[in-house]
Amino acid sequence: MRKLFIASCIFISFSVTSCKDFLDVKPTNSGDAETSIQTAADAKVIVNGVMSILSNRDYYGRNFPLYADVKGGDFTIFAAGRGFDYLYTFNHSASSNSYSSVWTQGFNAIGQINNLLKNIESLKATGSLENFNSYEGQALTARALVNFDLVRLYGEPYNENKAAWGIPIITKSLKADAQELRSTVEDTYKQILLDLKAAETLLPKTKLNGYLNYYANKALQARVYLYMEDYPNALAAAQEVINSKVYTLYSNTAWVDSWKSEFGTESIFELGIYPNETDLGNSSLGAYFRRSAHGSSAILGNFMASDYFLARLKQDDTDVRWGVMARDETAATRLGAIYKYSGGVNLEGDKKSSNSTAVNFKVIRLSEVYLMAAEAALKSDKALAASYLNEIRKRSPKLSLTNESTISLDVIAEERSKELAGEGHRFFDMIRWNKKIEFNDELGSINTIHRTKTIDRSLNKTILPIFTDEINANPGIGAQQNPGY
Amino acid sequence: MNKILLTSLCTVACGSLQVVHAQQIQVAGKISDANGAAVPDVTVSIKGSGTATSTNSNGLFTLNANPDATFVISAVGYQKQEIKLNGRKTLTISLQKEENALDEVMVVAYGTAKKSTYTGSAAVVKNDAIDKQPVTSFQTALTGRVPGLQVSTSSGQAGSTPAIRIRGIGSMNASNEPLYVIDGVPVVSGSTGQMNDYLVNSNNVMSTLNPSDIETITVLKDAAASSLYGSRAANGVIIITTKKGKNGAPKINLKSSLGISPSWATDNNETASVQDQIDMLYSVLYDSRIAGGLNETAANKWVLDRFKTRFGIHGYGFSTEGTSMYEKVNITGLTDGIENREGKYYDWNDALFRTGIFNTNDLSVSGGTDNTNYYTSLSYTQDKSRVILNDYNRISGRVNLNQKIGKYLEFGSNINIAKTKLVGMNDTRNTGSNYLLQTRNLLWPLYWPTDYKTGNEWTARYGSLAYNPLYYNKEWENSSKTSKISAVESLTLKLLPELTVKTIFSYDETESKDHIYYSAKHYNGSSTNGVVTEVTSNIQKLVSSTTANYNKTFGLHHVSLLAGFEAEKNESSFVRATGKDLPSSALHTVSTAGQLDAGAYSWGNNMMSVLSRAEYNFDERYFASASFRRDGSSKLGPLPRWGNFWSLAGSWNIAKESFIAQVEDINALRIRGSYGINATLPPSDFGWRSLTSYSNKYMTQPGGALSNIADPNLTWERNYTTNLALEFGLFDNKIFGSVEYFNRDSKDLIQQVPISTITGFSYTLKNIGEINNKGLEFELGSDIIKKQDFRWTASLNATFIDSKVIKLSGGKPIIWYDPTGKDDRARFIYQENQSTLAFYGLEWAGVNKENGKNVWYTNDGTEGDFLFEGRGASYNYTKAQQTIIGNANPKVYGGINTDVEYKGLSLGLNFAYKIGGKLYDATSKDVADDGYYWERIHAQYFVDESWSPNNTDGNFPIVSGRDLEDVNQISSRHLYDASYLRLKNISLSYKIPNDYLSKIGINNARIFFNGSNLLTFSKYKYMDPEVNQYGTRGWEIPTPKTYTFGLEFNF
Repeated sequence: MRKLFIASCIFISFSVTSCKDFLDVKPTNSGDAETSIQTAADAKVIVNGVMSILSNRDYYGRNFPLYADVKGGDFTIFAAGRGFDYLYTFNHSASSNSYSSVWTQGFNAIGQINNLLKNIESLKATGSLENFNSYEGQALTARALVNFDLVRLYGEPYNENKAAWGIPIITKSLKADAQELRSTVEDTYKQILLDLKAAETLLPKTKLNGYLNYYANKALQARVYLYMEDYPNALAAAQEVINSKVYTLYSNTAWVDSWKSEFGTESIFELGIYPNETDLGNSSLGAYFRRSAHGSSAILGNFMASDYFLARLKQDDTDVRWGVMARDETAATRLGAIYKYSGGVNLEGDKKSSNSTAVNFKVIRLSEVYLMAAEAALKSDKALAASYLNEIRKRSPKLSLTNESTISLDVIAEERSKELAGEGHRFFDMIRWNKKIEFNDELGSINTIHRTKTIDRSLNKTILPIFTDEINANPGIGAQQNPGY
Repeated sequence: MNKILLTSLCTVACGSLQVVHAQQIQVAGKISDANGAAVPDVTVSIKGSGTATSTNSNGLFTLNANPDATFVISAVGYQKQEIKLNGRKTLTISLQKEENALDEVMVVAYGTAKKSTYTGSAAVVKNDAIDKQPVTSFQTALTGRVPGLQVSTSSGQAGSTPAIRIRGIGSMNASNEPLYVIDGVPVVSGSTGQMNDYLVNSNNVMSTLNPSDIETITVLKDAAASSLYGSRAANGVIIITTKKGKNGAPKINLKSSLGISPSWATDNNETASVQDQIDMLYSVLYDSRIAGGLNETAANKWVLDRFKTRFGIHGYGFSTEGTSMYEKVNITGLTDGIENREGKYYDWNDALFRTGIFNTNDLSVSGGTDNTNYYTSLSYTQDKSRVILNDYNRISGRVNLNQKIGKYLEFGSNINIAKTKLVGMNDTRNTGSNYLLQTRNLLWPLYWPTDYKTGNEWTARYGSLAYNPLYYNKEWENSSKTSKISAVESLTLKLLPELTVKTIFSYDETESKDHIYYSAKHYNGSSTNGVVTEVTSNIQKLVSSTTANYNKTFGLHHVSLLAGFEAEKNESSFVRATGKDLPSSALHTVSTAGQLDAGAYSWGNNMMSVLSRAEYNFDERYFASASFRRDGSSKLGPLPRWGNFWSLAGSWNIAKESFIAQVEDINALRIRGSYGINATLPPSDFGWRSLTSYSNKYMTQPGGALSNIADPNLTWERNYTTNLALEFGLFDNKIFGSVEYFNRDSKDLIQQVPISTITGFSYTLKNIGEINNKGLEFELGSDIIKKQDFRWTASLNATFIDSKVIKLSGGKPIIWYDPTGKDDRARFIYQENQSTLAFYGLEWAGVNKENGKNVWYTNDGTEGDFLFEGRGASYNYTKAQQTIIGNANPKVYGGINTDVEYKGLSLGLNFAYKIGGKLYDATSKDVADDGYYWERIHAQYFVDESWSPNNTDGNFPIVSGRDLEDVNQISSRHLYDASYLRLKNISLSYKIPNDYLSKIGINNARIFFNGSNLLTFSKYKYMDPEVNQYGTRGWEIPTPKTYTFGLEFNF
């Protein structure tokens, strides 16, 4: 019995001696924030994380492109209550339907980027010989992309009032109690260009499927310059992408099938949306544009093309872009459901699997760059502009090509609408062009008190409110609220 | 320091084995009660010497004494005796019970105490209050039994987890649940498994403990009682002690009962008749067309056309006489199918609910000898709730064994093994899979599960996304299987008569296997061609504690000391495998799937503690006690890691003073008070660490991201508790009771402090907040009749609590939502000097009786659009400001209990009540809506009370087809008085006279009836007033009335 005692005393003593370790329990699925970036491989993991955040449902995975398409007049709703109708009716306020997810997701991405840049800087300072260039360049370009997207959501258009409030410019890691305020739209654009320029030289010129490379950076520059109406720089950037020949336009026969595969020849920046990652299943971007109940009773037919968009596409019944359109619930003859982000009208997806919701999002593709080049050249060289536009206009074989006398912003705008429908452009384009947006409210007998049938950018709700939670945590920004909220 | 303490303990332990007593005779004795059962823990002391011992669990003791010594036998709950030894070497002593409620012996923190001498605040519930109720865990049976303890059962689902609050709400983000201790060891509580990620239901881990195995439950409420549990004791402690065998021949107990639940305890949004519903829907749709610019005829036609497309496909035709907004819609049957449904409607209520069955069967065998005692049990319980598809069953077994080894050592082993299986339902406002919502709001009796034309099963969606549950039920399944093994091994060493050392080692493992499957036909599985997920989660808890207890009496002075240490290791892990793209509807297994996905990791926390307590009393008149515990937890960073918790308490037994002792009418009178500090740990294991998580996978590669900005100084939430009490017994206990005042200051509360999202994150955890709970607890009882074969007792308890938020980060209010059901059903605000459960929303002024419109108080300091009842108001809710609209905390809650025993017959009534406070009815936006959700069913009450030109007294607004969102606002429109009184239990049992039984070998037998929730008196009439801990009523499965019949035999 004494042995028993001694044994148990020894046992207990053992368990007590390791006291310090005993109370240091670490998680098994997370690492220490301070030490998790040491090598270029670690940096790549963080860049993956940033891309994942960008492809999340709150951002490019759904909410951001949805915003631009639903509000742009090319789409309409058939019945209220299927979800996200408030985007269509512009029913936003600081406290309800504030649509703050892109903001929170965007600033989360910026926080991750700034942390990565800080770590790379300090690793370099302590003599690390690893090559971080590509990751640093991607981080800077991604920061510019987020800032650009946010200023489009929250700031007045650059060509309308660049002295208005833009977004807070954050370039370093913030502490929990930081309360940053908004910069002007002009300063936001300055920072965007600063980051893009700084990243240029760091990025490889080879294709990087799923990531940002030199040409993605350049194409983004073209977009930013276009929004600033700096046409020469926009044209130069777009031309550099086009002339590089790294990317090529889809032929008319290949166009429809291009939606059935990943990383096509036009894809300059495409975010990977994979099963078990940012795949949203029946809540994916593509699912919101399908015909009601197509493939699943969970498909509600939230959004369908407006009569105006269909009329535009009907200018040519052989337009290749009919290939992603299929009937909607209203009538067998109305091809109002758009299937780009379902892979195709038979829900093919883009990964040769039965999954039709994990479909990559094409942030920038070459067609847009051609259209940007056309728009950028319009003021200085109409013939050149027409040559770029015609490359895309060929997709409506029955329509005559444009020339220096027939080309106009309206023609380019129509082509952009047809080519880029459902890809998150229309609303922003209409706003920067200061065009009227007409909504096809009759189709579903939609009444709304929040806007009239036709709006333009003088409607205050064409930009989002700084949401209540942010104002509560950062009272200073309350005084910088967007007008009318 | 720990090491030194340990070494000295070991030295003491080993050395004391050598102690020899000489020059005296050894006296052995056995002490039993009036029934002959052994009584353990009886103090046997030698008068005038200070030498004492106590009986073991078999009632045996040995003591060396002079042959002429006088033994003093004292035990809590029994009358004191003095016995002259007169040279005898063996003694057989029979004790007489002290008939006094204040003299119960109870199990307390690390020991036992007599209620009348205990300086802390504690209450005891005995097994007879629990074990005949149709409950799967003992928790619900505590309702109304203990002052200061509130049980909230938010769901009537079988296997669900109730919430328990002891003395209010002391935390915003950390736990408000008490610590559970079973047989001396802290255990895990709450819901187990990961099913919650897929279904909104819960799987109560406490249901792995068979209520019939419980001997007593002690609830520790104040710091003096609970501070010995230190950093986890702030919300009180519930100590459960399981049964032990008693000396004597093997006793076999067999108990079987069957409960049936044919109906709910209350109405639950009972639906209006089909005619009323269709007429109302007609008005709503009609109005929507008029708003759209149609004329009367066109609007009428549009509505009837819509009826045709929505309901016509189920075999009905519709027509109206006129074309106004208020028409009686004639419903006729179509004759073009195989079935004419004219005048026939489908009864979904009948199809989706059934008569619930609760069946439990317990077998236990117990007994003991001088050296060994044992209790073993085997039990099978099944609970099929009223919802088809919600089944729970449990099989459990227990062995409690105590064995003496030699003179000084005793070995104890309590082993519990249980297996439960739960099939659950979504307890939330989920339109697809909540049957209560479906039957009350979505499934029109005009919808049928079959096609009237063909008789085939109906598989398409109905209107408003409703679906045919009878079809879809075959296309999905879920189950949670839980295995529990717990072993509490203890070794007790009586080193000296006064000094006992006890080591406990416990191993507790809970493993849950969750399985959820959706076929390719089910809308949850259609996008992936079927999906099946298996999750195994495991919680392991290891506890080792060693305590030394020293008890000594010096004349009138009694000293009791306790010192010990404890180490605890908690490890949780889970493995999940998901398979999508299933090859066949017959195979519901992951490995057959085309696409696989898995996840697995573990987490946990460890704790080390030293603890001590000192108690002193003089002549059982003046009492003082102090406790101290030091805890170190891995949940905290290195700097704040160790914390000290302590208490001080005293009491004065005035009844023992000569000036009171003379007063015959006073049989008990005592005051006591305590003050102390205990705490609550942060909810997260790693809340203080800034982490990089790797959950952001990208294109099948790992992706990392910072997951938070943490505060490394995150520390315990501390509670400073004061307790004052007066206990009394008057007129030979014709009246007895207690009044208790408590004040609980909870400080350094962890808040998820909202931060500017520009930082990249929305929240960070900080120790900021303060909450105060103070209140009074009353307990008043009477032994109305106290005769040999006729006893009647009654008692009432009442708790008044004022629970307030005192301090918040930067004084800024925090808006939060009831997390129940994950449906953001009600909004609350933490605001300084306001209730901890303050509803926050718009203030609804009611309906304008002139036009039936919703009127909202603007609460913005202006006169609004017009004045209503003298206050600024508007028809437009967007012009109203949110404000505090009510408080969910009741003014007073408690219970009324009475027991009558007459000969073999006994009757017990257990009422629970709540007075004051509001409840938020989150279902009324569905069933009492103004027309926003077009094709949904309205409740009868809304049809009756909705304003219309024909009913201008209506309290609810006029229906409208203009998509009014008024009903969707979180507002006082949905607040109701939460007061109720409920007969939770009535139990009637009859002991069959022994004369008949002994002939067939039965010692005694009992038949019993138990009725649960048979009577409810409530101000709120629409649904069950017994709501969750946040005071909200959602679409959870309500409580049924249960009638249980049972039989119990002892052989």
